[in-house]
Amino acid sequence: MKALQVSRVIKKYDSDPVLRGVSLSLNPGERAALMGPSGSGKSTLLNCIGGIDRPDEGVIEIGGQSLAGLDEDALCRLRRETVSTVFQFFHLLPTLTVSENIEFPMQLNGVGPRERAERVYDLIQEVGLSHRSGALPHELSGGEMQRVAIARALANRPRLILADEPTGNLDSATGEAILDLLEAVSEKNGVAMLVVTHSPQVTRICRRTLEMKDGRILGQTDSE
Amino acid sequence: MIHLSGSSRSEAGSVGRVLWSRFIWRHWCREPAMTAMLVGILALGVAVFLAVRLANKAAVSGFGLFTESVSGESDFLLRPRAGYLEEGLLRELRALTGATPVGFFPVLETSGALAGNPEGSLLRFVGTDLVALQNAANGTGSEGAEKGNGGSIFARRDGDLSPIGKTKSIFAGKAFAVRQGLKEGSSVALLVNDRIVELTLTGILPEDPNRAAVPDNLILMDLPGLQALAGHAGKLSRIEIRFPGGAGRDRLLAEVAGHLRKFAGERDLILESPEDRKSSVTQMSAAFRLNLTILSGLALLVGIYLIMQAMEAAVVKRRAEIAVLRSLGVTPVQIRKAWFIEGLILGLIGSLAGVLLGRLLAVGLVGAISMTVNTIYYETTSSAVTLHWGEAVFSLLFGVVASIVAGFIPAREAAMTPPAQAMRQGTQGGGLHLLRRWPLGLGFLIIAGILALLPPVGLPGGTVVPLGGYLAAIALVLSASILIGLLFRPVARLLGFGTSNPMRRYAGSQLRRPEGRHRLTAAGLSVAIGMSAAMAILVASFETTLTLWIQQLLKADLYVAAAGSNSVSNGNSISAENWKRIALMPGVAGADKLQRYTINLEGKDVFLGGAEYNNDAKRFLQLIWVVPPTQTGPDALAVSENGETPAWVSESFARRFKVSSDDKLELPTPVGKKSVRVSGVYAEYGNETGTILVGREQTSRWFTDESLSNMAIYAEEGADVERLLESIRAEFPGLVARTNERLRSESIRIFHQTFAVTYALEAIAVIIAVTGLGLALAGLLLERRQELATLRSLGATRGAIAAASLWEGLGLALVGLAGGFVLSLLLGWILIHVINPQSFGWTLQYRVPWVSFGALAAVTLSTAGLVSWWVGYRNATLRSDREE
Repeated sequence: MKALQVSRVIKKYDSDPVLRGVSLSLNPGERAALMGPSGSGKSTLLNCIGGIDRPDEGVIEIGGQSLAGLDEDALCRLRRETVSTVFQFFHLLPTLTVSENIEFPMQLNGVGPRERAERVYDLIQEVGLSHRSGALPHELSGGEMQRVAIARALANRPRLILADEPTGNLDSATGEAILDLLEAVSEKNGVAMLVVTHSPQVTRICRRTLEMKDGRILGQTDSE
Repeated sequence: MIHLSGSSRSEAGSVGRVLWSRFIWRHWCREPAMTAMLVGILALGVAVFLAVRLANKAAVSGFGLFTESVSGESDFLLRPRAGYLEEGLLRELRALTGATPVGFFPVLETSGALAGNPEGSLLRFVGTDLVALQNAANGTGSEGAEKGNGGSIFARRDGDLSPIGKTKSIFAGKAFAVRQGLKEGSSVALLVNDRIVELTLTGILPEDPNRAAVPDNLILMDLPGLQALAGHAGKLSRIEIRFPGGAGRDRLLAEVAGHLRKFAGERDLILESPEDRKSSVTQMSAAFRLNLTILSGLALLVGIYLIMQAMEAAVVKRRAEIAVLRSLGVTPVQIRKAWFIEGLILGLIGSLAGVLLGRLLAVGLVGAISMTVNTIYYETTSSAVTLHWGEAVFSLLFGVVASIVAGFIPAREAAMTPPAQAMRQGTQGGGLHLLRRWPLGLGFLIIAGILALLPPVGLPGGTVVPLGGYLAAIALVLSASILIGLLFRPVARLLGFGTSNPMRRYAGSQLRRPEGRHRLTAAGLSVAIGMSAAMAILVASFETTLTLWIQQLLKADLYVAAAGSNSVSNGNSISAENWKRIALMPGVAGADKLQRYTINLEGKDVFLGGAEYNNDAKRFLQLIWVVPPTQTGPDALAVSENGETPAWVSESFARRFKVSSDDKLELPTPVGKKSVRVSGVYAEYGNETGTILVGREQTSRWFTDESLSNMAIYAEEGADVERLLESIRAEFPGLVARTNERLRSESIRIFHQTFAVTYALEAIAVIIAVTGLGLALAGLLLERRQELATLRSLGATRGAIAAASLWEGLGLALVGLAGGFVLSLLLGWILIHVINPQSFGWTLQYRVPWVSFGALAAVTLSTAGLVSWWVGYRNATLRSDREE
């Protein structure tokens, strides 16, 4: 079963097509980079896969489950359990500490306190922030914030992580470190990852690179 | 200093225009609902403030002298210090002024009521020389005199002048005639003292736009008619003196006024201008009206917090925009100016709407305020509310200044923040730094403590203003607004305590690091709650004290009074013949008897009571003592063996005249000055004028008067009180008879009616504050739209986001409530122990109405919860700026 299957997805805004029949798939644990110029439809595609937006046509299946028939509550459940997103601007909840930010999706998902505490501990260790667990987002550097965002994305053991320019707001050294981390957690947890990026650096952690332009996938390059 | 050249000035002007048209105006258009809400809040605040001031003015202007409405204003009034003037004085006055054309109008004024409604509002019976008044009216060229009535204001439509001189003819205003369904020539049964008399409405007094409106409770009669009716043959309440107009008036006034002053001085009479008289009477209620005005300012004060909050939100929201403007070369001064203009325009629109709304609200308030003034101070009528331009402009300015001040502080902070920092901050953090400085809050608290200890300030006219108390209250409010910030952490902890509900914990986390908006909202809420709860403490303390007082005072079985006993200025009496008959009725064991007079002591009107207590050591009226006398009991007010007349004075009197036990007073009476010695000070909450009580034996000799104002009857053991009541009512239909229970409930009802305006003002303040809470949350969620998008991406449903908003709103309300209640305990203390004794001279017992507090908390929390959930639910689907 594919971790992600996107078939002939079309999305229009005011009759202006942004996605023009996009198809792609990801195997479990597979990482793919989605590259393309601004306005090519990358973020819209990510939003549709994450269930934040709905396509006008086509099918999106995550772990074999189609998003088409899901109501708002079911989409919320999907975002809690199956798909997580890592953003360029981190989007940590500013009033929650590092550990609370990581714990939050588990609380939404009804995970028990003991299990939560153990997983928060493990995830903080995994992303190398055990010394900053009580810090608030504004006290962290950009790299640290993105590590927290990655730990948060992993909190409910999703099948798929969508990363939207995860290194776009970081200096190159920190960006490299974040890519290493993404690769490591994906390998360790067997999570599929679709990374939207402008940066050719990112492709080094991905098996495939998909080229997108004007709402279409123009082609793909295998790294191996 | 940099001076702008001509071109720089025009550049500055064009920047200002761009800022106005491209930013301020467009922001308003983008958020019309928010702009309308802001204007609405300001309008409501200004409206309440103006309405109370207009209603106060209308209630006070109801006190007037009748000639103003009939023939214009007199130049002087001559009145006695106690009792009545003798009619013969007129002859002496005429002899004094000789051939000079000075007009003298003898006036007898007394009160009455409608025969069918002795407990209803008072009627003012005024008897004067109608012929002289007619001539005066003609002399002034009154429209009504010349056109409407064939040259005479007292003639019937057919031109018949014969009603003048008739003893049973009355004249009244149109309002009275319409209300009672009377026409010229109709008969009407009225109560004068305890007698029902049939009188004929001979004419309707014409209204003249150049004069004061005819009061709707005025009954005008020819002097001899009223003297006969009231049993005051040859007596006058006052003589009004008028000088002719035209050239030579000033010379005549200067010449004769000196003679008149000498004349009055020699006879220990009072000579004053009508304006002096009015202001000395209305001064009595100045403290009450000032209190109401200050209370009405509460709505405006809460409104200021809300405007500040909304302006702060707008500044925060536009922070990045301001930073871009700064980076493009706009100076901080230009940015501040833009905000100044925004505050000014919003203030102008809101205040103008408030003035219109206030005019309408005043109509509703004037009746309630007049009733309180009538009950506690002096007789007045509910005059029509007119929009005084001075008041309107004052309220308008108040609203505009409030709006500008509210916008200035956040704008100043935004303008001063370096652009790079502002851009980095985005919509996070910042806010009013002033509210984060808790040592400043502590400083205000200490200042409040010091101010509360200051003595009151005396104003010209004798009014005492507890300025220190008011300033202490303001300092307390400022202190609470800042110190309330310390409550956020405990409340945040409480929200997160013992729960794994993520939205509740998330809401708690918002309060752990409160933004400026949180602090302002909580401050506004705490001010509204604090001031409302403080008023509730005052009302509860007043009610407790009053209930105890009534319980102590009302121990007789029945109470009998002449009509109009609910009004402090009631002059009706029970005739000696009638009260003696009542005392002899079967079933009556005894009675406390009281007659009350108004005397002028040291230039101030006070009450002098003649009390005679039931001759039963166990059953007689017992007062609550502030300074107890050495002897109490039925005979305690009898003249002592050494010939001294003992007197008890009320607490208000003691404070007003700074007297205490053992002090001597020289009282003016119709038979000359009488010396009394103060032997006790008692609590009295019926009036704040002040009362001196002496034995009735003395007053009946001094005033040659055996009548009573009221009597408290003790029934014989085993007597049927209800039957006795019915017998008195049947035999004396002109008197008001009530059982003990009825009088108690009536007193409490009047008390609550007196505070009706207060309750309404409190409710408005709390409504404004809770609206502000909703507004604040809506603003916060708008600012957090990115966060909301993140929450949704993490799987939070719309309901979950609404729940987070609900918890945050409840947390905020809890902070506001906790801070408000602490503030109210302190404000209540200042109201009861500083402002109230200094303004009114009343000692009250401090009582906290916990049940009312609980109700206020329940209403606030449930409303806040509802509003917050709704706001959260509506805004849960806001799209983030970065979502495509």
